[in-house]
Amino acid sequence: MIGAAYAAEGADHGGGHGDGGMPDPMHQFEIQRIVPLELFGFDASFTNSALFMVIGAVLLTVFIVFAMRKAEMVPNRTQSVAEISYQFVANMVRDNVGTDGMKYFPFIFTLFMFVLTMNMLGMMPYSFTVTSHIIVTLALALFVFVGVTLIGFWKHGIGFLKFFVPSGVPFVLLPLLVVIEVISYLTRPVSLSVRLFANMMAGHTMLKVFGSFVVALGLIGGWAALAFMVAFTGLEILVAFLQAYVFAILTCIYLNDALHMH
Amino acid sequence: MAGAENQSGAKNGGQDTKTFRRRLDTLDGKLAKARGQRPQPVDSEGRGKAMGQALKLSTEMVASVAVGGVIGWTLDWLFDTKPILMLVFLILGGATGILNVMRTAKSMQGEPMPGHHLRTTTEREVTTNDDKD
Repeated sequence: MIGAAYAAEGADHGGGHGDGGMPDPMHQFEIQRIVPLELFGFDASFTNSALFMVIGAVLLTVFIVFAMRKAEMVPNRTQSVAEISYQFVANMVRDNVGTDGMKYFPFIFTLFMFVLTMNMLGMMPYSFTVTSHIIVTLALALFVFVGVTLIGFWKHGIGFLKFFVPSGVPFVLLPLLVVIEVISYLTRPVSLSVRLFANMMAGHTMLKVFGSFVVALGLIGGWAALAFMVAFTGLEILVAFLQAYVFAILTCIYLNDALHMH
Repeated sequence: MAGAENQSGAKNGGQDTKTFRRRLDTLDGKLAKARGQRPQPVDSEGRGKAMGQALKLSTEMVASVAVGGVIGWTLDWLFDTKPILMLVFLILGGATGILNVMRTAKSMQGEPMPGHHLRTTTEREVTTNDDKD
């Protein structure tokens, strides 16, 4: 059913058709200005991407507040979901950072829930996947990167630079290994953002391509592509969760490095 | 409880019932023991962690080469030493990726691998079968 909706979505977009009448699989990632706005020479328009971020943030806030509005000893279903997600992230932070990392729990919980909501919202037909744009994931990753680096310097002072000097290494090799450590550290925001963006974009492009196969093959051959799409949609939902999880757990690991330095 | 049931079985006169009950009881005991020893059926958390590690490594391998290349290119542009530093840093980036993989492998060796319980279960089954024989 979701597959059919995707196919319909692909076929519906008037602007998305290529030469052969096939829907363009990349059309779904196009940014459209809803409220054009220019601030200090920058294009700060309210776009469909911004709209879905607002929808996601509002949905998430409303859900959590609604679920916990009267907390009971024996939780009902919505309260259970809210408590499970809280506990899931709390355990993640405690296991990977330790109890002194619980100070940063609100941030990691927000980050995880935001990425998860964005990924899951993207799985809805006719929606827009915010996390399929590298600028969004890079902004998230850079925020984590800069924040974690600042925490490291704030906690250890200039001694945080020792993080780049591996112990037990021959003196001759030290300059080389320091350079490698610095590259390794600078790789973090890149890999963090590219992983999320590439997974979401590749998955959604795949879905769209197979959706257009359903239309192109018609009533006779379309069923095979449709069956594949149903299975692939399930996989995409798994990927949507897993990527949010990986994003949050890597943030925890980086935070642990900054707080405890290996 | 079990004694009372055995008695009633004896009263009914069925020797077969009595032995059957005893066999059932021993089977119950064995089952309880096996259940107690068995770890959680699916180590989903460990599996998720392992998958996270794998995803981390696969992108880090590529990203570190790219980051090395960009650093080298920028330094080349700063010092006007066109291709040399970029080549050096591309290789250093590759080395970084390999180093990260090796580090993760080393840290993984310390903790039990996901799916480790599968092997121990079969081993246990083999030994119990031997006992029975």
